[in-house]
Amino acid sequence: MDTLGALVHGFSIAMTPGNLLAVLLGAFIGTVIGVLPGLGPTATLALLLPITIGMDMVSALIMMAGIYYGAMYGGSTTSILVNIPGEAASVVTCIDGYQMARKGRAGPALGMSAFGSFIGGTVSVVAVMLISPFLAETALKFGAPEMFALLFFAFTCIGGLTGKSRAQGLLMACIGLLLGVVGTDDIQGVDRFIFGQLYLQDGIGLVPLAMGVFGLGEILYNIEKREEQGAILETPKSLLPTREDWRRSAMPIARGSLLGFGIGVIPGGMPAVASLMSYAVERRVAKRPDEFGKGAIEGVAGPETANNAATAGGFVPLLTLGIPTNSVLALMLAAMMLHGVTPGPLLLLKWPDVFWGVIASMYIGNIMLIILNVPMIGLFVQLLRVPYGILSPLIIMFIMLGAYALKSSVGDLVATILFGLMGYLMKRFGIEPAPLILAFVLGPMLENNLSKALIMSHTGSPLFFFSRPISATLISLAILVLLYPLVRWGWRLVMGRGTAEA
Amino acid sequence: MNLDRILGVGALLLAVPVGVASWGFGVGTSKSPGAGFWPLVIAVVMFGLGVSLILRPSPGLVKAGGSSRWGRSSLSLVTLAFYVVALEPLGYLATTALMLVVQFRWVEGRSWRSSLGIALLASLVSLVLFRVLLKVSLPTGVIPLPRGW
Repeated sequence: MDTLGALVHGFSIAMTPGNLLAVLLGAFIGTVIGVLPGLGPTATLALLLPITIGMDMVSALIMMAGIYYGAMYGGSTTSILVNIPGEAASVVTCIDGYQMARKGRAGPALGMSAFGSFIGGTVSVVAVMLISPFLAETALKFGAPEMFALLFFAFTCIGGLTGKSRAQGLLMACIGLLLGVVGTDDIQGVDRFIFGQLYLQDGIGLVPLAMGVFGLGEILYNIEKREEQGAILETPKSLLPTREDWRRSAMPIARGSLLGFGIGVIPGGMPAVASLMSYAVERRVAKRPDEFGKGAIEGVAGPETANNAATAGGFVPLLTLGIPTNSVLALMLAAMMLHGVTPGPLLLLKWPDVFWGVIASMYIGNIMLIILNVPMIGLFVQLLRVPYGILSPLIIMFIMLGAYALKSSVGDLVATILFGLMGYLMKRFGIEPAPLILAFVLGPMLENNLSKALIMSHTGSPLFFFSRPISATLISLAILVLLYPLVRWGWRLVMGRGTAEA
Repeated sequence: MNLDRILGVGALLLAVPVGVASWGFGVGTSKSPGAGFWPLVIAVVMFGLGVSLILRPSPGLVKAGGSSRWGRSSLSLVTLAFYVVALEPLGYLATTALMLVVQFRWVEGRSWRSSLGIALLASLVSLVLFRVLLKVSLPTGVIPLPRGW
């Protein structure tokens, strides 16, 4: 089936009443959690994971994807009108978006953010659709050594891109790997790190881990940290940008689409990284850089486009290689696995409905989001007036309910609370939890492929990975990523000495 | 003390027992890895990262955000511990309502009236939604529920 035919097939799946409802629900929930500060898409997906088990798999994934990109749309509203980022990816939108709103230009800021998100999201979905089949076909030739090399490369990128410190990020990834080891070993049936607890024999569940670290941890931190919310600026009557706004935003939107997609594809390339990089690029290439920070529309259009483009870009490695590039996608991978679907190169062959249904739903979702966000902005702003003091106990209730409901297990409740405490401490000390969750999900695949590759090698030598071109390239890239800080440090040392001698 | 150094010490303290335990699982050989091979690899990497964090910590990663509201998050955690202990003997409705009352009244500082009202309403609505409509198995406990719930 050619790409166009497959896409038509995808639309026929995405446009069934149940799936259309799933897109709408996802887009709506996503916008709501995007608008509300303190509740991100990872926590929401973790909360909804137990519920999605009872749903049809394609509908569940369509809804989860909708929540993810919907959150990027909603996040900008809070940034622009209240100067508090609704989402991590909307942090930079506060800088110029809020300044525009203070000058009475909240309408064009919100409008351009919505249109930019729409364009970035749509361009990125087209790219996902065109690239994924080729990548999946290539990945079909991957054996265990190549898969291990690819996962290893992904790990090195995750450690570098998601934290303030590379070693800290890698350490969190190691803790995630260790948590993934707990339970009975699949191959040899040995109990590992279960401390005599029957509950741990099946391993630690992703739901308690994700709900604890991202849901409960976040809520506990917000209870403590809560700041008085600033005045919410008046919702503007019209969101339509002027011709001049469009002229100034055209190139930032184009650059944001490409940059965002590129970053989204890289492991660790979170939408927040894309928006930050887009802001830096726009500021550098701007004709009037002094306007940045004072209400430059380029500072809203570029980053808001980039974060949506990155969101869709992340689906390429997820759907074709089975590698999630951030914690939200790790939960989507978990949802697929719970339904017995293994994402990766075989997804397109074995479950084309899942692949093309989700892709087609993203086109529909982007249209729904612009319809939801532009005329209904006033409704979403009203959500900001609901006191967080009412929302947080209710979210805690749903976390505990979700943790228990999955297996009717008190053990899961205990695990959720312990991981909640861990998430709270990580948040309080500014430690990024994403590498932990990614490593937890990818760890068993990494172990499995390493074991298979070593057995395949007959010699057990790590040099075996360099005897095959794809794995050699990927391992070399991973080593380069790992050694980059050392090379940079050495270079600075040499340069510093050179300067001092001169 | 720098946060990276604290994490580094923590990594070393964790890596050593993990490494020892991995040995006990059976490391096997590199041609035929045993159940302890992978955790041993993790322990070795973790040890290396711990040493790296202690020797070369990143600057500016020192402090935790101090806060005057930490007592509220601690109280919130205590109510969650109560939830774990009481859920099966007291049942979903009573435990959830009690937990929510404490959360609204003392953690969030809302009035008695709104705390009680929202707590009761939320626990009842969630019970109907999950137990009655979604057929999720939730413990009944001490409060008798109508037939069919």
